[in-house]
Amino acid sequence: MSSATEHHDPNCLVTGNPTFESITESVSCIPESRTPLAWKIMFSISASLALGLFCLIGYLFWEGVGVWGLNNPVGWGWAIVNFVFWVGIGHAGTLISAILFLLRQRWRTAINRFAEGMTIFAVICALIFPTIHVGRAWVIHWTLPIPNQMGVWPNFRSPLLWDSFAVGTYFICSFLFWYVGLIPDLATLRDRAKTRIRKIIYGLFSLGWRGGNRQWRHYELTYLILAGISTPLVLSVHSIVSTDFATAQVPGWHTTIFPPYFVAGAIFSGFAMVMTLSLIARKVFNLTHIITKKVLERMNMIMLLTGMMVGYAYSMEFFIAWYSGNIYEQFAFVNRAFGPYAWAYWIMISCNVLVPQIFWFKKLRNHLVVMFIASIFINIGMWFERFVIVVTLARDFLPAAWDYYSPTWHDIGLLIGSFGLFFTLFLLFMRFLPIVAMSEVKGILPQADPHKSGEHHG
Amino acid sequence: MKDKPRINGKEYWRSLDQLGNTPEFREWVEREFPQGASEMDNSWSRRSFLTIMGASMALAGLAGCRRPVEKIVPYVKAPEEIIPGIAQKYATTMPSGNYAYGLVVESHEGRPTKLEGNALHPSSLGKSTAEIQSTILDLYDPDRSQSLLEIGVTRKWDDFVAFWLTLGAEYSAKKGAGLAVLSEPFSSPTMMRLKTAFTKRYPKAKWVSWAPSADENIYTGIALASGKRLRPIYAYAKAKVLLSIDSDFLLTENDSIVANLGFAKGRSLDSEKDEMNRLYTVESLYSPTGAMADHRLRLKPTDIANFAFALADELSAQGLKHSLRAGLGGSLSASASKWLKPLAKDLLANKGRSLVLAGANQPPEIHALVMVLNDALGNNGKTVEYVEPLDSEFSDMSSFKTLTKDMRSGKVGALVMLGGNPVYNAPVDLEFSKALKKVKRSIHLSERVDETSNEVLWHIPKAHYLESWGDTRSADGTVGMIQPLIEPLFNGKSAVELLSLIVTGQSVAGHDLVRETWKPKVKSNFEKTWRRYLHDGVIKGTAYKAVRVSANGNKISRQSKVTDGYDIVFHTCRTLGTQGSANNGWLQELPDPITKISWDNVATISPATAKDLGVANEDMVRITLNGHELSIPAWIVPGHADHCVGLALGYGHTRSGRVGNNVGVNCSRLRNSSSLAIATGAKVERTTGTFELANLQDHGSMEGRPIVREATIEEYRKDPEVIKEMVEHPPLLSLWDDYEYTEGYQWGMAIDLTTCSGCNACTIACQSENNIPIVGKVEARKGREMHWIRIDRYFSGSVEEPEMVHQPVACAHCELAPCEQVCPVAATTHDKEGLNTMVYNRCIGTRYCANNCPYKVRRFNFFNFTKDYPEVVKMAQNPDVTVRSRGVMEKCSYCVQRINAGKKTAKLEKREVRDGDIVVACQQACPADAITFGNLMDKNSKVSKMKKRNRDYHLLQELNIKPRTSYLAKIRNPNPEMPS
Repeated sequence: MSSATEHHDPNCLVTGNPTFESITESVSCIPESRTPLAWKIMFSISASLALGLFCLIGYLFWEGVGVWGLNNPVGWGWAIVNFVFWVGIGHAGTLISAILFLLRQRWRTAINRFAEGMTIFAVICALIFPTIHVGRAWVIHWTLPIPNQMGVWPNFRSPLLWDSFAVGTYFICSFLFWYVGLIPDLATLRDRAKTRIRKIIYGLFSLGWRGGNRQWRHYELTYLILAGISTPLVLSVHSIVSTDFATAQVPGWHTTIFPPYFVAGAIFSGFAMVMTLSLIARKVFNLTHIITKKVLERMNMIMLLTGMMVGYAYSMEFFIAWYSGNIYEQFAFVNRAFGPYAWAYWIMISCNVLVPQIFWFKKLRNHLVVMFIASIFINIGMWFERFVIVVTLARDFLPAAWDYYSPTWHDIGLLIGSFGLFFTLFLLFMRFLPIVAMSEVKGILPQADPHKSGEHHG
Repeated sequence: MKDKPRINGKEYWRSLDQLGNTPEFREWVEREFPQGASEMDNSWSRRSFLTIMGASMALAGLAGCRRPVEKIVPYVKAPEEIIPGIAQKYATTMPSGNYAYGLVVESHEGRPTKLEGNALHPSSLGKSTAEIQSTILDLYDPDRSQSLLEIGVTRKWDDFVAFWLTLGAEYSAKKGAGLAVLSEPFSSPTMMRLKTAFTKRYPKAKWVSWAPSADENIYTGIALASGKRLRPIYAYAKAKVLLSIDSDFLLTENDSIVANLGFAKGRSLDSEKDEMNRLYTVESLYSPTGAMADHRLRLKPTDIANFAFALADELSAQGLKHSLRAGLGGSLSASASKWLKPLAKDLLANKGRSLVLAGANQPPEIHALVMVLNDALGNNGKTVEYVEPLDSEFSDMSSFKTLTKDMRSGKVGALVMLGGNPVYNAPVDLEFSKALKKVKRSIHLSERVDETSNEVLWHIPKAHYLESWGDTRSADGTVGMIQPLIEPLFNGKSAVELLSLIVTGQSVAGHDLVRETWKPKVKSNFEKTWRRYLHDGVIKGTAYKAVRVSANGNKISRQSKVTDGYDIVFHTCRTLGTQGSANNGWLQELPDPITKISWDNVATISPATAKDLGVANEDMVRITLNGHELSIPAWIVPGHADHCVGLALGYGHTRSGRVGNNVGVNCSRLRNSSSLAIATGAKVERTTGTFELANLQDHGSMEGRPIVREATIEEYRKDPEVIKEMVEHPPLLSLWDDYEYTEGYQWGMAIDLTTCSGCNACTIACQSENNIPIVGKVEARKGREMHWIRIDRYFSGSVEEPEMVHQPVACAHCELAPCEQVCPVAATTHDKEGLNTMVYNRCIGTRYCANNCPYKVRRFNFFNFTKDYPEVVKMAQNPDVTVRSRGVMEKCSYCVQRINAGKKTAKLEKREVRDGDIVVACQQACPADAITFGNLMDKNSKVSKMKKRNRDYHLLQELNIKPRTSYLAKIRNPNPEMPS
């Protein structure tokens, strides 16, 4: 059992002894107050970058994927790296919403709303890349099983097809989950609304929520069912994404460890991104009493765990490559660590394996600046993990076909632009929606617990 | 004047803009010439260069049918009817200096699209080379000269005829004094007839022939030994032991098809019981011939002569009687000395079955020595014969030198240049450009307004050989007919037509000129015989009779040159060749078989020399020779001779066209008339800066992988299954029941690595057959070249003395194709005949298939490489093959269009396809016959038999992908007594 020293009650997940009203007040006042200047500045930067993204995509469609740094052995580059990166980021949301919900990890309530928001925005960013990375994006719908006059179905053996199902399903479920969770809070905002427009819009989206007993019963059941549906998705999406690589026979890709390793990595990166965002949000919107250090510490512990799972996967890949006796596999891994992309490999190892080790120390995993920096490093490291995997293509079976891949300005622009889009969506979310699940936080207040004086099983 | 473009387009309007003469159009035109290629260099992709190309719509109106008016005779099918969609084949001949290669040209509705060797012609034997294949693109080169020019002003042919009437009469009166003709070397009865007439009309006129790379040293050397200017004809197939003294007879020497076929014949093995020939190579640069050698000795040029003379001494020490004086050889390195005894022994043991060859770059005394040795070894009359070439003008450096002297002193009033480009490639000490300015009336016949045409009074556009009439004599003397496949696209004139005007003052069509030559020679029924000549493309029975000569080595001497500084070897480019055009994108993008560099020439140096100079790949070096200098990027070639630099000729044009301008460095600027091929005493130093090169293969080691499986004949005989045993893997099982490919035709291919010399002929044949685009240097450097069949080159052994192997790799049509399983839209699928097919219009371009292809043979259209082709280039496209657009994947289809054509013919004739009916493009071109294709269901087909050989193996077979293309392992035949 861990406890935070500043808490008057070591078991309490919120500090400052808030009341139901003060929670409502502190969360709802964010979308209700005047637009802060900082938001305006940040939004204009993000929106410009997002606009840049769409311009770059337009240019890409006009010219062709040759504007990227791809070449003959390396048919996939930053676009696919970014895709896997963003899908990975999107994992934490559902994990927090669904799995932690089912496991009754109630500390999740402080962060689940914007973790879910982040999931949706990250998946939106992710979906852009497989769509634009094809040579002829205008016939991308051929990857979907849409009945057509040609009588041709897609190839169900291709992992790219599985991808479109997996990520699509994930997006829909995550969105529903997020929206269903929002309904009571939207109703709160509707009830507090002072202008007619707010009343209509929030009223429309709160679907006539009145907070009645029956409604709560239905709501909680729905939430539970959605959590049940989403739980396997957390595991399946990145498993499927990993089959893009694992079913190929490229040395360094063709490994059975990929699905669990990708899932662990995704949760790892997702938590890092949630950490980055929640640290900013709690500071900017003064939510330190809701997103407490205790919550942050637990997230750090999950990152330590998943970071070590990822580290285990890295070492197991090496072991199996050696143990298989397959010269191509062996070379692929030696080449990762000591070949032309060794720099990327060691960035990955440092950020993903070494950096989380600091969380063994209680002092460090409770230190806000340390955890902020660590979360940034982990984000970088996880991007490089995908980069390292993708550029394994540069050296496969026939040495005569080997080449070196480096990105162009366009590749870099797309990555920056995708961050622009992500933050644009995120800032809009922060401005107009309750960023903390008020109703759920209220549920973990001491006064909401009928056995308040009893033993807590945290 | 020099930098002002002299090309005036033909008077076709190009667009509505031009009719309106808008400022945009003015700018367009101004940008169009002549600096187009510099635009390409500066831009980030080839697309913008193609945009410039797109401006040249001058030929839009010409894309239609332009069948010649004169009667030409089809090779296979009747000429009377053209059936749309059915290609016709005509025989013709490609002249190449004193050599010629017979061709069969595929023509679609009057538009030639593909060249193949004429099996009846002794120099092509049905095969071809990259250089020959590429000339079809030259025909449609939009940068060829489009009009006759007088100091840059468009004129008509009649204007020139009128001009010559006065000038010709003037010189006729002076008996030709002050008139000179500078021609390229030729072997042509009609040219010779006209030349004789020229001498008759202008007895005092001068006639000089010169070419930058020629066999002059060979003839001079043989004359030194025998007193006659003779040409050696080698019977490569009969030779058991070959010694090549700096001769790259498999690629850059003339008549390389015959050499390749013969050498391959003496080398290929049915089984371990067969005999195979043995090749020793002594050379400075690494050549494809050196890569094929069983023993290779790298020596710098000055040491090669030492070695050759020392070998002669050693042979006489071992009891061979010959007439060479002893003791002419100089000091030799320890490794070279160790070669002498076993080599001499091997040659002596194979008297009458050996062959010594020397490269055209070697000085005359080496050729004399070679002749003496072949004579003494009893090879004369067996593996080598000598013929006396007729109807031939040979390159003559000394008379060319005299000519320029006369020009400079003002003795030449009128100079007619029949082809050539001396301003660009004449030795620098001749200062040809200066001399040319002293000539009052200069006339240049040229395919393009090149460096020379830019400095003359009259430029006359030269017709491509596929647009002209003519005749040729091949190396062995067989006459080959040149008949046009298309009327001159740009109203060019052939050399015979211009020469005829010079001689007679009348403009006569080439058709009539050639007939005039042959009419007196045909006893009866000329028309019928003439038709037979054109039909066959050759005149049978016109080969020279072998001359029985004996060689005398008494006169052979050599000045032992003591040199410090570096040796320079000026060599024929291994991709452009001697006839290849610098403005030919196919050849420019073709990687050098040794360095794998495309789009540039480099200074090749050895690793040790690089260390001495402190130079890495792509570093610039300055080479100073006889007071002239040039800067060129360096490239390190393992196995290159130390203290020696190789420079390829044919690059660095300024007026070749948008593709060839400013590509590479013109190394003629260092060449001296006294040391055309090999120069000594050069200074080489590193300068600042580097130069980015487009190298198409970055990695040269096989990393210990069994990719090219190789064994010595001894190992192979000891264990005939040695090749199969080189890879061990668990049993190959599938998760599902595999489709049984047991019905109908099942196509497959076998490639024999023992005979493949890496000459690149297959790559260009494929490019021509399958409409493969060029991508330009910037894209090639990124690794986006489109070749469907590439040649992988690997080094093995030490960095100093490596062996080299070549392996052609194209789609292997795997039965369990990894590409097919991962395509989300099923755009690449298998057909029942075992072809891995690409459905271009279904492909969405995920590139997943390329990632999953273990051979990396799939090529992606990163841009729309073909969209902006000028109209005239589109005429070179094969109408039977889809032109791919942007965003789709492509790869070798086993020439599915040829398979279907073969099946169609068989069906119409109500029979099965017979073995040999379907010949795929790479197989067709391969001069070593290393590629076999056919039906695997037919147990008697050649390919089935090849695959039954115990050398047959599947590349990466442990992946259980069941490729249809298999390789026959490389076997070398080293002499156990040689030092390793």
